Amino acid sequence: MLSFEFLLNALIAGILLGGFYAAMSAGLSLSFGLLDVVNIAHPAFIIFGSYLTYYVNEHFGFDPILAGLVFAVPSYFLGVAVYKIYYNSFEKTGAESLRGLVFFFGLFFLIEVILIITYGVDYRLVRAFYIGKSTSIGSVGIAYRLFVPFLVGGILAAVLYLFLTKTFFGRAIMGVAQDSLAVQLMGVDPIRIKTVAFGIGIATAVIAGSLLIIIGPVEPTIGREYIGRVFAVTVLGGLGSMTGTLVGGLILGVAESFTSSFFGPSWALAVSFGILLICLAVRPSGLFGR
Amino acid sequence: MRSSTTKTWKGPTLAHSIVVDNVSAGYGAVRVLHGVSIEVNDGETVVLLGTNGNGKSTLIKCIMGIIQPDEGEIYLEADGERINLAGRNPEEIVNLGVALVPEGRRLFPRLTVEENLLLGAYREEARRGIDRNLAFAFEAFPVLAERKNQLAGSMSGGEQQMLAVARALMSAPKVLLVDEPSVGLAPILVSRVIAKIRELKEEYQLTVLMAEQNFNQAVKIADRGYIIVHGEIAFAGEDTEALAGHELVKKYYLGA
Repeated sequence: MLSFEFLLNALIAGILLGGFYAAMSAGLSLSFGLLDVVNIAHPAFIIFGSYLTYYVNEHFGFDPILAGLVFAVPSYFLGVAVYKIYYNSFEKTGAESLRGLVFFFGLFFLIEVILIITYGVDYRLVRAFYIGKSTSIGSVGIAYRLFVPFLVGGILAAVLYLFLTKTFFGRAIMGVAQDSLAVQLMGVDPIRIKTVAFGIGIATAVIAGSLLIIIGPVEPTIGREYIGRVFAVTVLGGLGSMTGTLVGGLILGVAESFTSSFFGPSWALAVSFGILLICLAVRPSGLFGR
Repeated sequence: MRSSTTKTWKGPTLAHSIVVDNVSAGYGAVRVLHGVSIEVNDGETVVLLGTNGNGKSTLIKCIMGIIQPDEGEIYLEADGERINLAGRNPEEIVNLGVALVPEGRRLFPRLTVEENLLLGAYREEARRGIDRNLAFAFEAFPVLAERKNQLAGSMSGGEQQMLAVARALMSAPKVLLVDEPSVGLAPILVSRVIAKIRELKEEYQLTVLMAEQNFNQAVKIADRGYIIVHGEIAFAGEDTEALAGHELVKKYYLGA
């Protein structure tokens, strides 16, 4: 049973899953990692994106990836609105640490409940020509429903990396949580920077949602399974590092894949919390944390 | 030592000065400044002398928009235009061509030296000259070039102070405010930083206002200065000799 092929298949499946985990976590790495905004509702926005994708796929036959990219634009403005509420209600008065957390927790359940009321608790799925197909290289099978999210996740992390490190705006995002007054002294409005960055984070969550529903069927409360995962990837990779998010996603994907191969899928969820705990104990700044 | 590259520096062509008129300011109920008036004319280096707690930093913060004055006016006279700074926030004031080297340096500790410098050139007017200014910063402070990929927070105090000065200059300012550059530095480093500021001031044709409590260091660079005591201007010295001769300086700084 423990053959080389078996291990190789588990490894490839894990890598493919890891690319998707990076896509899920990239936005959180922005908001939690760089802005110090503990957006615990991030997975709920991902599920929200899945349902948006489901809606246009079901009714208009939209390609899921295309749907995710198109919905990323209005979602950006949704993120901007959410941040403005958060800023004016909590951050401005310095009450963000606990009450802000409750705000995002509430937002999480609000999104869940809205989805349940609208669509019920049944699983929903999308159709696309690449879902259900697969190819094999030697004895390793590659399912397109995993490969496409892997690819999009990798591109997303790369684009965000370039945006953060090569543009003025990106560098300001990296600096804003470190010293907000110093950002002002560079002639930049820190609130604007944070608002835009948070909006981008939500936009990437919605793109990740379209990937999630390509990988498998989605129901409204499935986001809870991903809270541990996205935080594990973000912390493991190092807060705010896109390279770290990609590597962290891959590590979690591979670890989960091996765990489910050897011990069964029900153990997979424990992996992320295990990684999170070990990482916080051994290297709290993460693999690529500065 | 530097010739042709200096000439291409896109510096100011017209006069820039700061006028602080009868400003009172403070923190909450505590009033720190009581009717302070100073002027920093184009091309001058003016030093604001005072020991801790007399309001030097508060005045600098008022000019920079970090604190709003309760009373009085602050103007930037730029290119023959008089711009009221009161009521503006720091980012607006930076975009008018005023840069601050803040007390405590306030670098981005988890950004690299180069990223700190590039962030300094955020404002639209600074981006045009960014390559030239970056090259100039690295030439003026070779240590920054050597360590450009190092995190700013991992550098020594002196290096950090140099980075703070270089970062402020990346915004291509016309007026440079420097708040207590000597704090936390060994005397030899203070001399070096002060000498650099003087050199850069010439290169960039800057108007400089520097708050400092180290008189001996400050007079190396100053054209003239003010002594601030308990939030009031106690003496305005027309040159460094007048300052050095004043009883307050003798009392507080020269140990006489």
